[in-house]
Amino acid sequence: MELFEFLTPLFVLLVMGGTFVGIIFGAIPGLTATMAVAVCLPLTYPLGLENGLALLLGLYVGGISGGLVPAVLLNIPGTPSSITTTFDGYPMSQRGEGERALKIGIFSSLVGGIISLIALYFFAPALADFAIRFSYVEKFLIIIFALSVMAALSTDLLIGIFSGFLGIFISLIDTYDVEYGGNGNTRLMPESLEYWLEGGFSLLPVLIGIFGLAAILHEAEAGVPKGMSMKDLKVSSKNKFSFSIFKDQIVNLVRSSGIGTFVGILPGVGGSAASILSYTYAKTFSKNPENFGKGEPAGIIASESGNNGLTGGALVPLLSLGIPGDSTTALLIGAFTLQGVQVGPLFIGNNPMTWNAMIVAMIIANFAMFFMMFYAIRYIVMIITVPKHILFPIILMMCVVGAYTINYGIIFDVWTLLIFGIFGWLAKHLSLEIAPFIIGFILGHSSEIYFVKSLESFEDLSIFFTKSWIAVVLWVLIIGSIGFSVLLSRKKQDNTANEVAD
Amino acid sequence: MFEFTKVTIDFETSHLLFPTIISCILALLGISILIRDRKRIATSGKHWSIIFSKMDKKRFFGTLFLTVLYFSLMVPIGDLWPNTGYGFLICSIPFLFLAGLLFLHEYTKQTILPVVIVALIAPTFVWWLFTDLFFLSLP
Repeated sequence: MELFEFLTPLFVLLVMGGTFVGIIFGAIPGLTATMAVAVCLPLTYPLGLENGLALLLGLYVGGISGGLVPAVLLNIPGTPSSITTTFDGYPMSQRGEGERALKIGIFSSLVGGIISLIALYFFAPALADFAIRFSYVEKFLIIIFALSVMAALSTDLLIGIFSGFLGIFISLIDTYDVEYGGNGNTRLMPESLEYWLEGGFSLLPVLIGIFGLAAILHEAEAGVPKGMSMKDLKVSSKNKFSFSIFKDQIVNLVRSSGIGTFVGILPGVGGSAASILSYTYAKTFSKNPENFGKGEPAGIIASESGNNGLTGGALVPLLSLGIPGDSTTALLIGAFTLQGVQVGPLFIGNNPMTWNAMIVAMIIANFAMFFMMFYAIRYIVMIITVPKHILFPIILMMCVVGAYTINYGIIFDVWTLLIFGIFGWLAKHLSLEIAPFIIGFILGHSSEIYFVKSLESFEDLSIFFTKSWIAVVLWVLIIGSIGFSVLLSRKKQDNTANEVAD
Repeated sequence: MFEFTKVTIDFETSHLLFPTIISCILALLGISILIRDRKRIATSGKHWSIIFSKMDKKRFFGTLFLTVLYFSLMVPIGDLWPNTGYGFLICSIPFLFLAGLLFLHEYTKQTILPVVIVALIAPTFVWWLFTDLFFLSLP
């Protein structure tokens, strides 16, 4: 049982504590699972990799699940991924079936989480085994593919691609590292800043800035809306919840969890895409599509199993290719780097204990989430009333602690936090896409090494097309995803034009 | 494969190769966006004036100001007592208090008291956690 050495009371406690805090972050509108992970990252330094991941994965699962509470009770999604839960959850709540709606959502979340976990368990090692054979050429193309998928699923293809390349560009403001075969020269910076920027912008302060500080700036801009009072949050229980509701919904549950998992596997695509897609499918295949949006339980089932399906799915590309599946898993890369562990195709094989720990942590987190929320929903609801004027300053302080301690005390990291906090705020108003930017930033450096080293060894540009059949397949996928996106935007334009004409 | 696809990379300038390519792509993308969205960009002044007119200026700029002040003072104050984390502690308490007040909507004894308590306890707890328990340096 050497492989389960990590399973200590502390480990279980950390997962459960993480899940609980995650639910709080998820349930408070304006705070997200990503922010929960960003804020709690500094706490993981002394915990070691397995225990640190236990906490972070708990936060992740809890954060994604907690969003359903305000979605049902207040018509406000607690996290972006529970937006479709509001469509049917709130009408049910207004009908006096609040508790029933919440419990349907909670159970669907559990099923979504578990199904995606099974997919993760079987799919990640297989994909990693396959990816081990990749040379620098294929690795470079995988990154381009990841960016093209993300751009394709952005609201605007051109701006999505631009954001991804901007991320790569910013990641290149550093030294071309000798350790990776570079020539040790700095680039893209004035001489006066060389002292600070020699090592580039550190990943975690950038992420904490974008997901922590920027979120607070947005809330401040909106005047820090007052917290909820218990009066707003009445959990009505006119119609009791019963598991029999799921009898006719097994197909919907499995399909939505599957869609969530698949969307999670696509790099950089967040939870809102997972739930919107599951919801749309559930509506299309439903016998009573006209009931959707008026308090149809199947809508909540689709939305919540879809967004929790994301949790396992998003870890697949992270653990097999080193490419984060969404913004929260991008932060997990930070946790790995912190402990000196590199994620990529060799990760699972070289770190079987950590791999097991992650799976066990996810199982515990999903069940902890279920029991905490299902049986204590009335108390969980009270948590939403934690006032923001208390919470936000603490979050800001934790952002500073995280940024400062990340490299053991470099104040420039705190300024990085501020720069990217303001950037995150600006980006939203400029309609820049954050997910491709982050993935570009994280993978920019590797993509440079893969690209330049491939050219140095083969001295031929055509190598990117002729290296292997995998390279050819990847090109087909890259062109396919861009073509798909162009088609999609054309269709959208046509629809708008038709609507205008009507 | 073909002669024109052949490339030789000069190691001395290899650090500029990828940044140059990315800059060119960025510039191309930027120009395409400028051309495509020229109408929207031309009227962007209006977009920003709407954002600023809707903005809660006191809270937004207040947060920015407090944050910059907080970041700037932490190290100089911390340098007075090196490696103790006092800079963090001394700056965090007023920062939490002032930020709490800034975000607060109704100023009564019942609402201000929790802000004071949290401003005292939270930084002290984090300071103790990081310096005494985790042995990590704070400013």
